[in-house]
Amino acid sequence: MSLHADPIDFELFKNALFAAADEMAVTVCRTTYSGVLRDNMDFSTSITDARGEVIAQGLTLPMHLGSVRTALAAVLAHYDDDMREGDVYALNDPFEGGMHLPDVFMFKPVFVNGERVAFACCTAHQADVGGRVPGSNAADSTEIYQEGLRIPPMKLLDGGARNETLWRLIERNVRIPVQVFGDLRAQLAACEIAEREIRVQIARYGLEPARAMMREMLDYTEHMTKAALSKLPDGEYDFEDWIDDDGVDFGKPIRLFVTVRKSGDRIAFDWAGSAPQVKGAINATLSVTQATSFTAIRSILPPDIPNNDGTFRAVEVTAPRGSIANMELPGACAARGLTGFRMLDCAFGALAKMAPDKVCAASDGGNVGISVGGYHADRSPFIYVDFTCGTWGGRPFADGLEGNSNLLANMAAQSVEVSEIENPVEILANELVADACGAGRFRGGAPFYRDYRMSEEEAIVQVRSDRQTHRPYGLFGGRPGAPGAVVLNPREEARPLTSKVTMTCRRGDVVRWVLPGGGGWGDPLEREPERVLRDVRNELVSPAAAERDYGVVIDTERRAVDEAATVRLRARRRAARGGGTIPFVTRDDA
Amino acid sequence: MSGYRIGADIGGTFTDIVLLDEDGNVISKKISSSVENYALAIVEGLESVFAGHGVAPGEVAEIMHGTTVASNAILERAGARVGLVTSKGFRDVLELRNLRMPRLYDLTWEKPPPLVERYLRMVVDERVNAAGEVVRPLARDDARRAVRRLLDEGVEAIAICLVNSYANPVHERLIAEVAEELAPGLPCCTSFDVLPEIKEYERTSTTVVNTYVLPIVERYLRTLREALDSRGMAVPLLIMQSNGGLTPAAEAAVKPVNIVESGPAAGVVGARAIARQSGLENVISFDMGGTTAKASLIERGEYTRTREYSVGGGIMAGSRLLTGAGYLLNVPAIDLAEVGAGGGSIIRIDSGGSMQVGPRSAGARPGPVCYGLGGEAPTVTDANVVLGYLNPSFLCGGELRIDAAASARAIEAAVAEPLGFAPEHAAWGARQVAIANMIRAIRAVSSERGRDPREYALFAFGGNGALFAAGMAAELGMKTVVVPPAAGLFSAFGLLYAEIEHHYSRTVRRVLRDADPAAIDAVYRALEAQAVSQLAADGFDAAHRGHERTAMLHYQRQIYELEVPAPAGRIDRAALDTLAESFGREHERTYGHRAGAGEPVELVTAQVLGRGLSERPRVPERLSLAGRETGTGARRAYYGPALGWVDTPVVPRETLARGGGGEGPCIVEEYDSTCLVPPGVRARVDARGNLVLSL
Repeated sequence: MSLHADPIDFELFKNALFAAADEMAVTVCRTTYSGVLRDNMDFSTSITDARGEVIAQGLTLPMHLGSVRTALAAVLAHYDDDMREGDVYALNDPFEGGMHLPDVFMFKPVFVNGERVAFACCTAHQADVGGRVPGSNAADSTEIYQEGLRIPPMKLLDGGARNETLWRLIERNVRIPVQVFGDLRAQLAACEIAEREIRVQIARYGLEPARAMMREMLDYTEHMTKAALSKLPDGEYDFEDWIDDDGVDFGKPIRLFVTVRKSGDRIAFDWAGSAPQVKGAINATLSVTQATSFTAIRSILPPDIPNNDGTFRAVEVTAPRGSIANMELPGACAARGLTGFRMLDCAFGALAKMAPDKVCAASDGGNVGISVGGYHADRSPFIYVDFTCGTWGGRPFADGLEGNSNLLANMAAQSVEVSEIENPVEILANELVADACGAGRFRGGAPFYRDYRMSEEEAIVQVRSDRQTHRPYGLFGGRPGAPGAVVLNPREEARPLTSKVTMTCRRGDVVRWVLPGGGGWGDPLEREPERVLRDVRNELVSPAAAERDYGVVIDTERRAVDEAATVRLRARRRAARGGGTIPFVTRDDA
Repeated sequence: MSGYRIGADIGGTFTDIVLLDEDGNVISKKISSSVENYALAIVEGLESVFAGHGVAPGEVAEIMHGTTVASNAILERAGARVGLVTSKGFRDVLELRNLRMPRLYDLTWEKPPPLVERYLRMVVDERVNAAGEVVRPLARDDARRAVRRLLDEGVEAIAICLVNSYANPVHERLIAEVAEELAPGLPCCTSFDVLPEIKEYERTSTTVVNTYVLPIVERYLRTLREALDSRGMAVPLLIMQSNGGLTPAAEAAVKPVNIVESGPAAGVVGARAIARQSGLENVISFDMGGTTAKASLIERGEYTRTREYSVGGGIMAGSRLLTGAGYLLNVPAIDLAEVGAGGGSIIRIDSGGSMQVGPRSAGARPGPVCYGLGGEAPTVTDANVVLGYLNPSFLCGGELRIDAAASARAIEAAVAEPLGFAPEHAAWGARQVAIANMIRAIRAVSSERGRDPREYALFAFGGNGALFAAGMAAELGMKTVVVPPAAGLFSAFGLLYAEIEHHYSRTVRRVLRDADPAAIDAVYRALEAQAVSQLAADGFDAAHRGHERTAMLHYQRQIYELEVPAPAGRIDRAALDTLAESFGREHERTYGHRAGAGEPVELVTAQVLGRGLSERPRVPERLSLAGRETGTGARRAYYGPALGWVDTPVVPRETLARGGGGEGPCIVEEYDSTCLVPPGVRARVDARGNLVLSL
């Protein structure tokens, strides 16, 4: 591609806008009042052109990429012609631009000489926006009306002055207004930073050249994406997987199905065949489905493609209206992240058929979310929200990572000690689990578990997880990972709970969640015995499992591989298999 | 103290040595670093300088040393075999880290392997709660079992980090006691001694890094000490810490975690000293070498420190958003932002037709094309040769030959021809892109924190700093650039300005308006007592000990803290109110907004810095540098499409010291660095020998 703009000016301008988007994100991280924003990094920042196409997105939550233009389009539908300097717009309604109620989108139009030239945008997951369950993210709500305050596109600031109507409504409808207001201030400050920088850049290059370069930033990304796509094989690749259930109709699996069509320099993700939308709060908006599909393909493309909407000119994402991948009113969606993560696994399954040397087996299926909320003795409220993910499927070239965030959400863990000092919980364990990773030539990541002991008289505890009945799949002969679990009082009654649960706990109750293990990649009988030995030595694989899953005999006395016994055992295993072909996908034990 | 003070800074390729006598006479020397034995390299380097200048070992008063021995041990994974004892249920804190990865959309990411593998991590059954109360006592037998198993595995050192131990170290102490009983003299570090602060992963990681490098650093410093003693230099040996203060070698051997970023700190310390002498309150230091450029903020004469950084994670792209690379350390360090841009950065055109500079670097080998050592890809240094800024025949006073034609051919083929540009325009563009990349580092320490770089002077050093300083300043709207004498050796020079410092901190989480002032007062006094006893041990009497208190605070429920000075003297209610107000002001200054007056402010960490004060300034204001040859003559240099090629005189620094200086364009070419004064920029030399450019 040859650029129309001067390649040097272009590089400088592009860097300046991306730096500004990152600077916005730093501000949010450093001033936020909520662990969800700082540690889980559940927010995003971006700069769009005057029409609302994202030209630069900060290095923030992948799940938000692609959502901004949908949200901004909803704002423009109402206010396009009468925006003025000092306005700031906000929304969270998933049926008019939003993703789920906790994500509050904020847009500040930037004017130069009275003309709108860009928008500064910041989307952040608020710790609580009201509704029936503290944290506003229950998986078992059945309609949007239970989930909290719905904000259609509205003015948050009007010509620089607060729209008191909206602020007061928010104040009365959320559990901890001081926290929500603190985070709204952080979002506003981020937008101001971007506004300042956009003005500096336009003053430097002039309005028209700057506009041309904004257009060119989109063209550039489109070109880079298409060039990379052209190198992948054409064809049609599909995959299906199931979510355990929606937390309302227990035991009823929900089908996800995607068809990927790759042709020349374009790729399409078609989610037709996925289940109709469900009662539980795990329905996705089309923007979630888009962000997820994009993350899947982006993860196998070269790393130097800028983050902006130019990509969507080469990637098409569709899903039938009224399906779990494109919900309609009155669908509940607070826990839609779960579906997003599971769609990523599903999309990877299809891409593994197209690019078998690049794609991993199934990961843990996304984060487990726990919220603990209620009131102290003096009736002051508390809300503790913690999302954790961390196990990858085995890869064609390496083991799956363990203790590493999911690709769809680069979340950090919250500190156990800080959680304990700020909330009425004690965390008794945070540790890897043995014999839970899917066996493979490259094994899946080992999952970990956490135990939370409640230390307030009473608390509403809500857990959102998955893959108890549908385990992370293995690829090309790799075995599936162990299922996840949620357990009440594991040391005493050890009562198993469903993957999505809302319940009242008493002081002393312990809630445990266990992440699912990553799926394995490739034939476990081909794993190097030394690697199995190392896992045994590190107590991630037991000697019994080494024999059973890998055909590797460990001499525990000598702490060494029994080479001869291993060769014999592996030969026997291979013979017992007969001449069957290695399966592409394995979802359960044979 | 009389005699020579010596600064010795070990870098990857060169060891820089600077000698200073009481009258301000300076002798400097660059020698090649001997990788096999750094300690020997220093001693032999010193002896060769002594021989060349007729100095006797007995004339040396003290030696200040910046070393990469700790960071190299981590980068090369060459530290000790460490065992870790931790709480039951938390065996994997070190390995789980904080889950975050430094790159988005990267399926090939590999986490840095933990410094202690899982089978060397033992758990003990115990529990201390967040209030510091023992909920489940630790049985001595259980501690013995854990330590014995580690000893059976042949560990060379033991790290101990239990959950909530910041609030009560009783169980950690018990394990340390048991370890001493079972293996007397085995290095053993408790997290409470290394970092008594909240956050289990940060504390564990810091403690493990300390333990991991301890035996190596201890051995190195002992070898150096013995070598110095045996050659007649039984003088104080002080080591530069990451925080910008010096510490006696014996103390560095106990807390080596404090010297991991020893190298880059010294230059900033020197920059601060010269800025203060020159009456410049606010300065941004800019240190550009062959692979990276580093920026740091000096404000009201003080540098800023960070409390959290990673070592061995590669160079971050100027963004502080994505963490997870390398090994995390939570000790005070001068806050440096680093980008992968230096003389060796490679220039290329990407598939989208845009020009990219770095972060890939040709390094020292094969190096820039013009060095003729096998480099084929054009670099930033080649661009500077094409532009006429660097000497077209040689550098380093003739020690390095330059092939200007090779630079021109490489730029033409890889950049100019594909873009349809003249070679000089392509080189100019590459330079502008490199400047834009480096600006990210400057912004990270200034505008990202609400500071306007235009209100600061740019203090440039390192091999390439002076070549880019004026260009950087122009882009940022900065008015003044200062280039110190011996800019290319400035890190060694900076060591001479440093003073002894010890940092102590403690988590005290209290909402200020509800806190008991006496409890906070007691913590500050305890930290000061620690500082006093260490400074007394260093030989400072009461008149020569200073302390500064600071506090890390946030609005209640915020997660990130800001550091502000804390009142001296007894902490009472009024002092806490002052603290809350200073925090509010700092929040507004940094982020542009503050919460309402009713919003509770929470203290998180109390910190005390103890300083050993010198009788008189560590370095005289006027220095005289011996044997510094400078280039003369003239050549054509290119200044962008508007000005084109302009005849540019090459002048010695001394010329600019006369008659109020001169007007650019001109080039000051010295042994260790080259300074470019572009057209329209005025240059003069101040009374202390600094080159001062006015834009």
